[in-house]
Amino acid sequence: MTIRETLETLTDATWSGVVCHLHKTPRAFLPMKNFETLQLVAGRGIEGDRYMIGNEAGFYSHKPEDGRQVTLFEIEALEAIRRDYGIEIAPIEHRRNVTVRGVPLNHLVFKKFWLGECLLEATRLSTPCKHIEEILGKPVFDPMVHRSGLNCRILQGGTVKVGDTVRPV
Amino acid sequence: MTPKPIRTVSTVIRHTSEPIPGIRVMVLQDEDGWELPPFRPGAHIDIHLEKRLVRTYSLCNAPHENDRYVIAVKREEMGRGGSIFVHDRLAVGQHLQVSLPRGGMEVDPQEMNIFIAGGIGITPFCSVIRDMEYRGLANYRLYWSSNGPACLPEMIQPAVDAGRVDIVNTLTAPIPDISEQLARHENGIRAFCCGPAPMLDAFDKAVSDWPEERFHVERFTPVRIASDPNAKPFTLVLARSGRQQVVEPGDSIVEALIDMDADISFSCEGGICGLCRTRWIEGPPVHNDRILTAEERAQDVMICVAGCKGPRLVIDA
Ligand code: FES
Repeated sequence: MTIRETLETLTDATWSGVVCHLHKTPRAFLPMKNFETLQLVAGRGIEGDRYMIGNEAGFYSHKPEDGRQVTLFEIEALEAIRRDYGIEIAPIEHRRNVTVRGVPLNHLVFKKFWLGECLLEATRLSTPCKHIEEILGKPVFDPMVHRSGLNCRILQGGTVKVGDTVRPV
Repeated sequence: MTPKPIRTVSTVIRHTSEPIPGIRVMVLQDEDGWELPPFRPGAHIDIHLEKRLVRTYSLCNAPHENDRYVIAVKREEMGRGGSIFVHDRLAVGQHLQVSLPRGGMEVDPQEMNIFIAGGIGITPFCSVIRDMEYRGLANYRLYWSSNGPACLPEMIQPAVDAGRVDIVNTLTAPIPDISEQLARHENGIRAFCCGPAPMLDAFDKAVSDWPEERFHVERFTPVRIASDPNAKPFTLVLARSGRQQVVEPGDSIVEALIDMDADISFSCEGGICGLCRTRWIEGPPVHNDRILTAEERAQDVMICVAGCKGPRLVIDA
């Protein structure tokens, strides 16, 4: 079996993860808040989140990005950053919407997977933004460079709940 | 016109008052009352009043009052226009863009903390004292002198009522001697000062032989990103429009580009995403990105993190 095939078996069949935390914020720079559920709208984003497509308003605006309707982050990355850099980042601080455990985000680019009852398609890995250091007052940019989560498009919307299963299609 | 990228916190003026003539207090909130970015006691924010009219004000409220930024602005007829704008042009319901809060004062949790305020220089101490009272800490004393009646005593009413505040009106009493005020307290105190320039100078003199960690002077210096100690200022030139601006060491080049309406997009602002890649014409640039190869750097630069080796950085934008 080639490495690629091994990877594909790994990512396509053998993993199953869980939703640990859900977060959103309505506007740039404002603190995220925890929610028990989030409403995902196909093709647009999360109800009430700053990146919801169609809600941009005014002179200052996020660039609407089709591939960034919902963002995921691995709780294992927070644990690794604590271990490798001694920096504590709470799930509410990484500024992605869904904190998951047991999901190989880095292998999911261009793939489809289920987040609870919602079907997502991963578009690209997220890159951290330098402003996160100002927002958190912690030097987290470097530690987050290769583990900053995953951007996804919503193919099928619905309600996502803490505890939901994340699984391959 | 394409919307500008968001670099500020959007707030709405929810309430204003004028507790004494010439002092305007404003309460800024998120439009839905969502919590605002957190701050430390005594922190300050920049308020974007108009393009190129940005002013820094201390927050008067305490960090636990986290759904609001409260500022108090004294009308300065002879000032540079910021305070007049705040007094005459701002009204409840208007939107204001503000920066993330910065700075703040670290009080000593055990030893005595001495706060020396002059007039409207009380504002950061309102925040610090509200925070200490909230946390049940009484190890402080405020010496507050004003050229007239004190302007915001109700903001720290519990402290005034508890006798932890000395208020002096210098119209009717002599200007207090800061060394003498500090000498009333034991060694080990931590001292803080905010007020007009002569007061800050007197304070500096009074603490000149103190260890640095035991005093703090509030001067609202803008944050400078830790920069290369050898960096020199350079002129950033946009070849297409001919616009140019000097970028000082530690200045944000992204802000300069936005200010000049350069047609460049930014995302990470940390030299890793590649969105701001721009061709350079004259320089050479100092490349601080982490993605371009040497060959690519010969033509292009990730401008969000760039510096310049020469006096001019001309870019194709
Ligand atoms: S904005 Fe990302 S590299 Fe410049």
